[in-house]
Amino acid sequence: MAEYFVARGLPVPPELRRTPLTDWRRWSLIGATLAILYIGVRLLDIDLSRANPEYAGTRIISLLQWDLRILTPQNEFETFWDTAGGLMIITIFLGVVATAISIVFALPLAFLGARNIMTGNPVAAAIYGVARVLFTVMRSIDVLIVVIIFSVIFGLGSAAGVFGLAFHNIGVLGKLYSEAIEGIDPGPPEAITATGATRFQVVWAAVLPQIVNPFISFSIYRLDANVRLAPVLGFVGGGGIGQYLFQTINLFQYNKAGLIIFLIVITVAAMDFASAQIRKRLV
Amino acid sequence: MPAFLEIRDLVKVYPRGARALDSISLDIRKGEFVVLIGLSGSGKSTLLRCINRLVEPTSGRVIFEGTDVTLVNGRDLRQIRRRIGMIFQQFNLVRRSSVFANVLAGRLGYRSSWRTVASRPSREDVALAFENLERVGILEKAYARADALSGGQQQRVGIARALMQQPQLMLADEPVASLDPATSHSVMKYLEEINKTDGITVICSLHFLSLARRYATRVIALKDGKVAFDGKPADIDEERFKEIYGQEAIEVEIGPERSRPQPLSATEAALLALAQDTDVGRVSDR
Ligand SMILES: Nc1ncnc2c1ncn2[C@@H]1O[C@H](COP(=O)(O)OP(=O)(O)OP(=O)(O)O)[C@@H](O)[C@H]1O
Ligand SMILES: [Mg+2]
Repeated sequence: MAEYFVARGLPVPPELRRTPLTDWRRWSLIGATLAILYIGVRLLDIDLSRANPEYAGTRIISLLQWDLRILTPQNEFETFWDTAGGLMIITIFLGVVATAISIVFALPLAFLGARNIMTGNPVAAAIYGVARVLFTVMRSIDVLIVVIIFSVIFGLGSAAGVFGLAFHNIGVLGKLYSEAIEGIDPGPPEAITATGATRFQVVWAAVLPQIVNPFISFSIYRLDANVRLAPVLGFVGGGGIGQYLFQTINLFQYNKAGLIIFLIVITVAAMDFASAQIRKRLV
Repeated sequence: MPAFLEIRDLVKVYPRGARALDSISLDIRKGEFVVLIGLSGSGKSTLLRCINRLVEPTSGRVIFEGTDVTLVNGRDLRQIRRRIGMIFQQFNLVRRSSVFANVLAGRLGYRSSWRTVASRPSREDVALAFENLERVGILEKAYARADALSGGQQQRVGIARALMQQPQLMLADEPVASLDPATSHSVMKYLEEINKTDGITVICSLHFLSLARRYATRVIALKDGKVAFDGKPADIDEERFKEIYGQEAIEVEIGPERSRPQPLSATEAALLALAQDTDVGRVSDR
């Protein structure tokens, strides 16, 4: 086959030059991948001899033997909000409030972080750069680490959870929003600029109508993700039902832990369903 | 008397780009219908956008009714833009908004930012919007979404939006390049009408010389950012044509004018609406 190209003085396509089975590049890539995995497994020292199936079995059974008492107040000092159900609702709101806070901050910041809005002068370009770096920094620190840092500032509890989660999400939503703004059709803003409108009026009349839909769907996506994350935050001091779950596991109260896990699973599934429904309506 | 629009030694060099405009000087008089022609990349869009500073000129001056457009900024620039309407090849309507909202947006230059958000459009602006919609013959589409309209209708919305500015000058960047020949004529006729009736000076770039011959009072040809021809449409003979478009080019005709591109009369519009009423159709099907 290659002769066809050689005879006509054309470059031979690489597909013809190499046969897949004898290509040394392919084999060396596969070899390198295997070597890295081998080193990894040796370093991890995965040890199955410590597993105790009998013990695990009894624990799994107690995870399923739910202690229903945690669903009702147990003494005169407890209210509904100290029960597992109450804590679950609080945790859902932890995700909701964190999302709301992050939307409020990400919305204006996203315009500052959109290249097509921040054009014209060096000051605008500088603001754009700062906003983009800010998003990247906020986004790149994992939520759990942010919550740990915030629990140092605010102490253990919901404050650390809400603000930590919101902080991380400003970075995520800011990036998603500003990319949506950068993806708009530049024609309408150009036309509105030509009518003598101010920059603000251009955004109001020609940019906003183009981004409401992506903004709503990104916001719902983050709400979904945050309600999912909220129960975990309690493990690192973020308050809510996670803190309770962490406590029961540490005290070996598996009958309680199992029920709490079940509540979390149901909540996440319901959230999943609801957000899919809302998004379907939108499109 | 100074010219209506004076362009002096206008140069535009794009960053890392070509010299799109190479020292252009022109005097445009009030009431002219100027058609800009020239090959793709000859600088037509750049020239039009330098006039209202959508593109920042590198050097040179643009003097619009005595004011140097290249020297003003902020509020003064916006007040000049307000007097210069513009329509575009891709219509540049906000597709998700209604036709009415799009037309009303042409008035933004007359409102403060604060009033844009906080108050409803004034009675006068609403009346003016309906007046302009009626003028371009799409009153019955006022509440339709802009992207539900055909290309020709969308361009008429673009004209109505520009008319909201009550401009003295209308810039049109290939307004009919996305339209079929018959629709092209109907859109060009509205431009001709506002030029003749309202005395709005028009500068319009076109790809078809036959359209230029039909509508222009003056043709300016650009070639590599320079003026290659400036004169009456009738003076473009074959030799001139080849100078502008290159030796291999042949002139093509755009299709015939549609016999009646005028807006529908009220009765016709009502009949049309009746005929399109799906409910009526469904009843008679049964
Ligand atoms: N934003 C830009 N950045 C860099 N170069 C540009 C830009 N816009 C236009 N140019 C260049 O400037 C020259 C003139 O372009 P312009 O769009 O004004 O031509 P035109 O006559 O309108 O062409 P067309 O008929 O294709 O619309 C071209 O060489 C083009 O590549
Ligand atoms: Mg162009």
